[in-house]
Amino acid sequence: MSRLSRRDFLKTSAALVTSATFGGVSRILSAADSQPSSKPNILVFVFDAMSARNLSLYGYPRQTTPNLERFAERASVYHQHYSAGNFTTSGTASMLTGMYPWTHRAFNYRGMIDRMLTDRNFFRLIGEEYTRIAFTQNLWADILLSQFETDLDIHLACDTYSQFAESLIQPADLPADRNLAYYVFQDFLNLRVDDERPYPGSLFLASADLSRAIATDRHHNSNEYPRGLPTNHDFSYQNSSVLGGIASLLQSKVLQSSPYLAYFHLWSPHEPYGARQEFVGIFEEDLKLQPKSRHPLAGNHYSEKSLRKYRREYDEFIADLDAEFGRFLFQLETAGVLQNSYVIVTSDHGELFERGEWGHASALMYAPVTHIPLLISAPGQQSRSDFYSLTCNIDLLPTLLQIADQEIPTWVEGRLLPGFGGTRDASRSIFPMMAKDNAAFRPLKHASLSIIKGPYELFFFTGYPGHPDTFELYNLQEDPNELQDLFGKDITTASQMKDELLEAVNAANRNYQKK
Amino acid sequence: MSMLKRLPEFSAILQVYAVIAVLLSAWTITAFLWKLSAWLLILNLGEIFTVFSYAMLIDLVESLIVLFILLLVAALLPPRILRDQFVVRGTILALGFVGSLMAFVRFHMEFGIESGVRLLFGPLAVILLTVLLLGLSSKIRFIAPLAVWISDRLTVFLFILVPLFVLLSAYIIFRNIV
Repeated sequence: MSRLSRRDFLKTSAALVTSATFGGVSRILSAADSQPSSKPNILVFVFDAMSARNLSLYGYPRQTTPNLERFAERASVYHQHYSAGNFTTSGTASMLTGMYPWTHRAFNYRGMIDRMLTDRNFFRLIGEEYTRIAFTQNLWADILLSQFETDLDIHLACDTYSQFAESLIQPADLPADRNLAYYVFQDFLNLRVDDERPYPGSLFLASADLSRAIATDRHHNSNEYPRGLPTNHDFSYQNSSVLGGIASLLQSKVLQSSPYLAYFHLWSPHEPYGARQEFVGIFEEDLKLQPKSRHPLAGNHYSEKSLRKYRREYDEFIADLDAEFGRFLFQLETAGVLQNSYVIVTSDHGELFERGEWGHASALMYAPVTHIPLLISAPGQQSRSDFYSLTCNIDLLPTLLQIADQEIPTWVEGRLLPGFGGTRDASRSIFPMMAKDNAAFRPLKHASLSIIKGPYELFFFTGYPGHPDTFELYNLQEDPNELQDLFGKDITTASQMKDELLEAVNAANRNYQKK
Repeated sequence: MSMLKRLPEFSAILQVYAVIAVLLSAWTITAFLWKLSAWLLILNLGEIFTVFSYAMLIDLVESLIVLFILLLVAALLPPRILRDQFVVRGTILALGFVGSLMAFVRFHMEFGIESGVRLLFGPLAVILLTVLLLGLSSKIRFIAPLAVWISDRLTVFLFILVPLFVLLSAYIIFRNIV
């Protein structure tokens, strides 16, 4: 069993003390005296930028996830699960609120949920009977969690289990304004040395950050980490330490008496892909991929060779993470933590290695960047259930409320997942979107919008300068690689889906039109 | 009391502080305006105001730190070195110190972190120039009047900056207490 290091212990203790200062833990401690609840614990693990398309669990030819496959043997596995966004902010906000980005409005880089809607989150709705814990290594996701600060009993700082921080000041250092702390420091006063166009607002803080960056080996290359330690560009970490810290937290006494909802959003396997030595080079260069020509809206011009290299490094990083996560689950299981716990494994969005584009958050919304894993293991579940109907990450909130025996509000746009009260609905449509350059307070006019319905997926690219508004239509069942654009060929389907998408967008825009 | 006597006159301190505060806040405000268009997409005006207030509070603290260091040096060194010519030499030192930080950060903005220790060339050049100006300030006739002229002209900005610092700092303190 791994143990907390002294540093992790101090950090976790500090986080608990901070929470106690603001009242959260006092409620937990008082709950510790009460009778144990029969309600199950809920553990949500979000792996940032983990595409379902790169997991052997979902049929990817490289064996990236043997441990997740083992876990899946006693879980519900969702095969057509999509994120409502293609980067952290929109994807995570949709999962936490059960609403589409055009409703919660967190669809810009480092954006926030509409300030009038912050009570619509699963930490609030699950009720105070639960101890609510949240931790993310992603600073943009932490902005969202900070908006829910009053609904959290324990909100661990992003760098809680990290090793090397790039900036002197982190958002948790500003508890009174934690939701704005990112904008004050990371986005403005501090210097983020990896930014493409940095313009730090404080000469002192920037010089301090820069001096530290020059004086230290920022990538922390070592024999164990030949590509450097995993990092979110603000701090470096090891997955073993992060998961070890989480395991210790879950076994701590404060969580023994009341049910808890614990949300853990890990940075891995987000780039940079810092796999350990034993996973570097484990996959051959023999993956058969159909070449896809560069898309006119691809923001970059990555060559096929580069994209193959990045894909391989990504796959290796997933395999590394999978091994650590397998160890972590075994540890929790041995300790009996999972006996009365639902374990949910998912992602906020995927990753793209095609059409000249690498990464996510681009104008391209193809399936690799929205198709995400979802596995739910119920307490005592011994067999695997596979679900192939279309689901979206906005479905997680109502499903969690159902598990916790709470009422599902009428404003929720998601549905109960199949296997948890939901039914298969072939006529269901979901609407992933990207509008990072569209003002959150204005109608959607500059965006990549999509609708997935049945086997079809329609894209609408609108408002891109120098590029006419265009539609693309694909049949994901017959053409999972999205190579044959059917928009001009299957006129009936294209027309129906186009009308439905535009109607939904117009409805979403109605509240933001100038009167 | 004797330590206070070793400090420069209040008007001289004010002139040098003006140089420090104007340089630091000018940098911050420029960066703020550069970021503003992106923030307008995601933050409301109240939130942007709060971010700006934090930045001004940090500027106030930074400017006081630089002033404190200069005053400490003035008090510790023999008066003829810094205290007696505080406006001239204090202005040159303030320009040199803040200027070297600007050069450091600016070089990074232009050339990136990959340049490593070469990013130090900019601040080193500024520091060298500062030392030269300090050394020559009593020998070349225009340097001292120029330094006095600069600090004198910048003092007027204190009428804006000091109330701004005070009000915005009070706002931040209030937010953090309440």
